[in-house]
Formats: sequence, structure tokens, C-alpha cells
Amino acid sequence: MSFAKGMSIPVQRSAVRRESLPIWAEMLHDPNPIHLDAGLVRAMGLGDAEINQGPANLAFVINALTDAFPDGRIEALDIRFTGNVFAGETVNTAGVVTVIGRDGEGEHVTLDVSLAVGDRVVLKGTAVMCRSAA
Amino acid sequence: MADQALPDVVGLSLDGSTPYVITTEANRALCATMDRQPAPDGAAHPIFYHIAAQVGMRLTIDSLCAACDFDMADGPMLGSTSVEFARPLMTNRPYDVRGRVVDIARKRSGKFGVMDLVTYNLELWHDGEAAVSVTHTLVLPRGAKA
Repeated sequence: MSFAKGMSIPVQRSAVRRESLPIWAEMLHDPNPIHLDAGLVRAMGLGDAEINQGPANLAFVINALTDAFPDGRIEALDIRFTGNVFAGETVNTAGVVTVIGRDGEGEHVTLDVSLAVGDRVVLKGTAVMCRSAA
Repeated sequence: MADQALPDVVGLSLDGSTPYVITTEANRALCATMDRQPAPDGAAHPIFYHIAAQVGMRLTIDSLCAACDFDMADGPMLGSTSVEFARPLMTNRPYDVRGRVVDIARKRSGKFGVMDLVTYNLELWHDGEAAVSVTHTLVLPRGAKA
């Protein structure tokens, strides 16, 4: 598959399942109760459900990238977290090619990427994918 | 806290003492949370860069917060992450974690009031080479509203 500047990679729509949050918390050794206790989240005025871990949100964007570039690998990510995703919500990925470069290693494709819940953008940044020269 | 001096953490070593291994089982379990199959070639899901760095560094995330005079219960947030992969991470390989705190800065925002931004670098090494280089910025809200 060839890519061109301005081209979008396929959107991926995923549900954040409540039962996944403890698995991520254990993997990350993250004791922050906002990921596990909806009552605490409500008491803190942050929302009405457990808050998904930031890396778990980023993983959805990574999935979209690796699926769009089955012959490539992630070279770099530069991501800013701008909002929370709550258990039970559905997220949508986005990615648009901004730069394509080539060198002896292969093709380097830079994309603007983001993750959103409806119109609420919860992370955004850039990704660079490398496709090795044949 | 907001009017106190910044914690003296710049240069704090985060070098881990025990290599982190992404097990086949852990990779499978993580992929399952997203209804995905593990890569057949043994490559780990790339998000393990974050997990391996966080779990393998010398301090737990709450210990890092404590070193910054910040209580985990006050809600630290991951502000940003930047990563460069020299090569994909693989399952069942030991990765040594090396790193340090490189910056702490106090800022004020309308949303969070006074907050400290703690920046730290981490690298995952295998077989004498850095496979991954990571820079995280942790946001520590200090509570005094602007």
C-alpha cells in the first residue's frame, strides 16, 4: 500500500471495557484508585466512572497505526494527553499523513494522530512509521 | 505546597535493579483487553514500552511522586509521552531500565491551578543496545487555584 500526504488511515472504534482496567492497573503497577473506584472518581468531581489509564488510551492509537502499516513498525511517538476516557465509553482513532521521507533504511511516514470520545479529544500528537526498503 | 521551593529531584536516578521481561502470557493478556491477537513473530505490543519502563524503573510511580513531595491520592497525571523505538520490543527478553529525572518546573493553569511538571527519561536496554528511549512528563497538581 502506498501513502500520500493528506491521506487518512482507517478509523478504529473501540469500547473501553470496565473489566480491562484492573488488568492494566496490575500491568502498570499503578495503584491510583481513579482507575478502579467509580465512587472515588465521583467524589473527586472528575466524572461518573473509572478513568482509563493513559497508556491504555494510547494503545488504541498504536493498534490503528500497526494495522494501517502491516509492513512497517513504529519509529517514534510524541503524544500529549488532553483528557480522560471513562469506562464504558467508546473511542475513535484518527491519523493523517503529513510528511513522507525516504532514506537508505526505507520510507518514513509521519502522521498527526489523535483519539477522541465523540468531539472530545483525549490525546493528540505525532507518530512516525518506518517501512523498510525491500 | 504551591508556595514552597521545588523538590530537589533533578538528576534522581531511575535505573532499575532487575531486568523487565515481557512474558508471552502478559502480552497475550494485554492484547486480549483490546480483542487483539499477539504478533506471531514474538514481538510485544508496542505499548509495552510504557509498561516496561514504568515497572522496571527503580522507583514505583507512587515513590516517584513521594520523592516530589506529592501524595499519590492527590491525582498525578501523565501529561505527555515521547518515545523512539530503535527496534521492536520482543517477548521473553530481559530489558534493563536506565533513567533519571531531568527537569521539574512549576506552572499555573486555569484548569489545575499551580502544578509541577516532572520530566524524566527512561531507556530499555537489551544486549548492549538501547531498544527504546522514552521521555515522560508527569503533572502534579498542587491545588492552589489560579
